[in-house]
Amino acid sequence: MRLVNRLLAVLLALALATGGVLVVVEVIAERLDKAPVVVDWHRIYSWAETTSLTQGSVRVACIVTAVLGLVLLFAELRRGRPKRLAAASDSVDAGYTRRGVANAISRAVNDVDGINSSAVKVRRRRIRVRARASGVGTYTAELLHEPATAAAQSQLANLELKRQPRLQVRLSTRRR
Amino acid sequence: MHADRTNRAALIVLALIASGAGILGALASFGVFGASVQHRPLVDNPVSRYFGREGEWLWPVVAGVAGLITLACLYWLWVLLFSTDRTGDLRVAGDNRFGRTTLVPGTIAHAVTDEVASYPGVVAAGSRLIGDPDIPTLVITADLEDSADIAAVRRRIETQAAEHARQALDRPEMPVQLDLTITNRRTSRVA
Repeated sequence: MRLVNRLLAVLLALALATGGVLVVVEVIAERLDKAPVVVDWHRIYSWAETTSLTQGSVRVACIVTAVLGLVLLFAELRRGRPKRLAAASDSVDAGYTRRGVANAISRAVNDVDGINSSAVKVRRRRIRVRARASGVGTYTAELLHEPATAAAQSQLANLELKRQPRLQVRLSTRRR
Repeated sequence: MHADRTNRAALIVLALIASGAGILGALASFGVFGASVQHRPLVDNPVSRYFGREGEWLWPVVAGVAGLITLACLYWLWVLLFSTDRTGDLRVAGDNRFGRTTLVPGTIAHAVTDEVASYPGVVAAGSRLIGDPDIPTLVITADLEDSADIAAVRRRIETQAAEHARQALDRPEMPVQLDLTITNRRTSRVA
């Protein structure tokens, strides 16, 4: 999102700077009784004098502007995934990257006997672990659920996070 | 990161203006505010009438404000495209009668990086000083082995490397940001 924001910010700054220069140039030209320099605003004004809000192009422009504005507003106000999870520390602003927390928990779960692989998703308030057991029976997954959860919980405790996210562990078995 | 908050604030303002103007325009276009507003020409509104009446002094003011906005936008572009948040040379406190001593931030960052990288369990490390030279912030990044005692390594960085940097700069309250990544990579160091 930061990269997109920077790109949009560059475009917005360029548009505003260009618009500002145009206003200054056109106002000076008008004061000196010269013809419009870049934008033929006389024609735009004439068009606006004979056009009402019911015209299709104006209506579409309003709807498109509203939709784009709402999409941008939603995107900016939405809280995305955290970049880092803060650790409990007094002297330093310490934190673990989201990828780091996922790696740590994945490693702890994979170390449990009988678990083949795991995938971890870290969000602000919840960590979701999906692990796959090496056995094929459903009872294997049930048996391994508790040790896998304990391993993930223990690793999470080791990280000493300022705010502990909720842990959700799901186990599946290989298909026959 | 520098300018990120400004970017977000500016984009939120833009989004509010666009959505507000678009929604009001669409509602007026569909006759929510009455048939007279709906069928009125676009320039037949109080703002246009005010500009028509007061244009003699209002347009030069608008041009002045547009000029200021342009300058602000050019500064914003310069910050976005060319500036860095890294700290400039740090002035060392002391007797300045015969000259002054400055410290290149890279030297302290290099020392911190080397110290952190030497800790067992650390695969890779980096550090830099950001912000104003009078109140810099030390940012340390480190990749830790997933088999290491992660909390212990973190505490060691906090109590040793960060403290050493604070002592070296004679800034006991210097803010330190520590970003840790746990990785399955292994250090190539021989113990």
